[in-house]
Amino acid sequence: MANDTNNIDSFVNRRYEHGFITDIEMDSLPPGLDEDIIRALSARKKEPEFMLEWRLKAYRHWLTLKEPEWAHVHYPKIDYQAISYYAAPKSDADKPKSLDEVDPKLLETYEKLGIPLHERARLAGVAVDAVFDSVSVTTTFKDKLAEAGVIFCPFSEAVAKHPELIKKYLGTVVPQRDNFFAALNSAVFSEGSFVYIPKGVRCPMELSTYFRINAANTGQFERTLIIADEGSYVSYLEGCTAPMRDENQLHAAVVELVALRDAEIKYSTVQNWYPGDENGKGGIYNFVTKRGDCRGANSKISWTQVETGSAITWKYPSCVLRGENSVGEFYSVAVANNMQQADTGTKMIHIGRNTRSTIVSKGISAGKAQNAYRGLVKIMPQAHNARNHTQCDSLLVGKECGAHTFPYMEVKNPSAKIEHEATTSKISADQLFYCRQRGLSEEDAVNMIVNGFCKEVFKELPMEFAVEAQALLNVSLEGAVG
Amino acid sequence: MSTEFSAETELRSAVERLPANSLKPLRQSALTGFLKTGFPGVKQEDWRYTNLQAAVTLSQRWLSADRGSIKKLPDSAASVLQQLQEQIEADWIVVASGQAFLDGSTISDADISVRLLSTDPQAAEQINTADPLSSFNAALMTDGLVIRIASNSVIKRPVAILLFDDSDTAAALSNARIVIDAGVNSSCQLLEIHRSHGAAEQFSNTVSQVNLQAGSTVALTRIQDREAHHLHTGRVAARIGADASFNITSIDIGGALIRNDVAIDLAEAGADVTMNGLYLASDNQHIDNHTRVDHRVGPSTSSEEYRGLLNGNARCVFNGKAVVHIGADGSDAQQSNHNLLMSDKAEIDTKPELEIYADEVKCSHGATVGQLDPVSLFYLRSRGLDKDQATRILTSAFATKIIEESPVAAAHDYLQQRSKACLERIIAGDSK
Repeated sequence: MANDTNNIDSFVNRRYEHGFITDIEMDSLPPGLDEDIIRALSARKKEPEFMLEWRLKAYRHWLTLKEPEWAHVHYPKIDYQAISYYAAPKSDADKPKSLDEVDPKLLETYEKLGIPLHERARLAGVAVDAVFDSVSVTTTFKDKLAEAGVIFCPFSEAVAKHPELIKKYLGTVVPQRDNFFAALNSAVFSEGSFVYIPKGVRCPMELSTYFRINAANTGQFERTLIIADEGSYVSYLEGCTAPMRDENQLHAAVVELVALRDAEIKYSTVQNWYPGDENGKGGIYNFVTKRGDCRGANSKISWTQVETGSAITWKYPSCVLRGENSVGEFYSVAVANNMQQADTGTKMIHIGRNTRSTIVSKGISAGKAQNAYRGLVKIMPQAHNARNHTQCDSLLVGKECGAHTFPYMEVKNPSAKIEHEATTSKISADQLFYCRQRGLSEEDAVNMIVNGFCKEVFKELPMEFAVEAQALLNVSLEGAVG
Repeated sequence: MSTEFSAETELRSAVERLPANSLKPLRQSALTGFLKTGFPGVKQEDWRYTNLQAAVTLSQRWLSADRGSIKKLPDSAASVLQQLQEQIEADWIVVASGQAFLDGSTISDADISVRLLSTDPQAAEQINTADPLSSFNAALMTDGLVIRIASNSVIKRPVAILLFDDSDTAAALSNARIVIDAGVNSSCQLLEIHRSHGAAEQFSNTVSQVNLQAGSTVALTRIQDREAHHLHTGRVAARIGADASFNITSIDIGGALIRNDVAIDLAEAGADVTMNGLYLASDNQHIDNHTRVDHRVGPSTSSEEYRGLLNGNARCVFNGKAVVHIGADGSDAQQSNHNLLMSDKAEIDTKPELEIYADEVKCSHGATVGQLDPVSLFYLRSRGLDKDQATRILTSAFATKIIEESPVAAAHDYLQQRSKACLERIIAGDSK
């Protein structure tokens, strides 16, 4: 037992594995935010006029907004003028076509992260559009995707090559005026991914983007837009790690999904950004607006997320179920340890007839962390026969953590069937004792129980992600029970 | 962010005009507190679904009209009291227009002391002004009613408080305050019956404070049965001591705009609360039930079940919050809310919340929204019942559970009868 306790202590005191800084010369804009910065940013990205106008409109609206305070999180005020809104690796001008041309230092970074790009891409058959800070470094499997007619490229490339699609869809799910952080993102977003799946195409592989935040003081403002045209299917994976920093870094991303008639989008996230140290120093502020629009009949959008990182998470992947018979799903595991604070959940807005949604949220709190589920299920008057089932379970590990549930249900149609269940419990001494007497060590027992608790969500993840998620969970939690 | 209130001067002078008894300093400090916050507005999380504007406008008009307090019990109150006395076996006391009328009290048990707040400095010290409506109430209370149950006494006969407001001749505003103190190891049953009368509009804002000393048991059934065009906000705040047990059922069948707050403080080990509720709403009724239970120490238990049936353009709100504080290990909080929607225009907003800061806990909540089960309806109709009869059976079964479990048995028959009449009205609205 004493030995176990030592092991546990060493796990508790484990430092963030992925904390390192890649020393590459950066080409950054000076800190601060005004219209000139936005013009400079837009010019540097060689954007057409309509993009600049779009950004300025968002910025002018952002100026009128106040930072939201309703979330169950506490953090010092963010100085938006102290942030540099653009950072790109120097070698930006001549983008490498293959991995051989990539800066070896960058490749080294990926090695350290355990995601050797070429290996992973070849073995897993995954096209990786790796975003290193703000500019895409390399894009693989492009040819194969092009054969199927799939467009999968960095956002800036899409702006240049497919302005008609950008004009048609950008901001139609998350408008510039949506909320404080979405407006900020709309004004200053520097990079992201763009996906278009043509009519009737099943995307031949899972699309994946690894994001990293690198340079100190550069908030990364990702913008992702995925359009699944009629009858198409795509599975998109997003995963992140970030190096250790003492200063808090702001991340305000926007993800927009559009599913037209009979289309399906599956969006999976593993988020493992630097959570700050055990005293709450440092760590990423993750204020993300993610929303999917089931625009056509019989469309489906499914969000799966495993959130283990970030000092503060403020994130509600949502579905607007506009099309008849459309389906929204949200599966989430949120782990908060030490001083982490998570306020996450979803919104399901039922507008069309016979729309269905499922919410499964698993929150795990350890250390002194606060973990909140906040969800809205809204049934509009015209949404006949809407159906929702929500389950949110919280697991408490430790005496000083908190687990909270704030579910909102607004029902304006009598034919709706809404169910909500929530439970909160801890890993009981009985369960632990049972596992221990079967010969499992305490951490193995905790892992097993926690993994069982999260199973419903993990089984929704693509295979390679599920393995990573499980490993992440173990690292994040081991030793929290003692 | 609060609802705009523009009758500050009038409010000040109305407070000045109240009887110069020992409550004066209390009113003044409550007034200062209220003026700092004003009435709550829809931008505030706890009020996002309920707009108090109508009540605020009425209050402003009432304050400007400079209406004093009433001198004697109105006849309308006396006749309602008489009817109720025939239907419910209990000892009675009347609070009309916010003023307690001790003369007519039928309470004779020596273990119950009934007095005015102005003559009970100890109770006056503990007057709760924690939220804007309670401060508004305290600033404008003429006097309060204090009921004390002696330690180690078991009161068999229920004590019924009729809260009555009359707006026959002019619009009315009332602020009743009731303080109940249950002594160590005592036991009692209470009824709080809200009735109103009058064609003019009225707004009643009541606050009941219940203090349960160690080992005591208090049962409270609250029946809000006001006229269909009257506005009401009511708060029940209870502090529950060691091994004490509080059982409250809150039933809403009347009123236009209703907001109930039940705030329970499980302050010592072994404290226990059961909170149930039933709201039957139709036409344009707006009924908002907010409950909050604070588990401050463990072990402590809370269980809660609210049920609602909505028809017409009714809008109901349920917000149940359970907070388990740091160190309240061994807390057990269960909560559920079930709603039946019977019309296309009705709306329910439900939000069962948990805030948990301790780990040795068992907490759960559940909420459902649906319509009458078509399979059950079909079954009953296949047995030869018509649609209305089948609906009647299913809706009354849905409502009966809360009524049967309400803690004051003496009121069961009355409640069944009232809810039946109310369901008839709701079903009739349905077949229109």
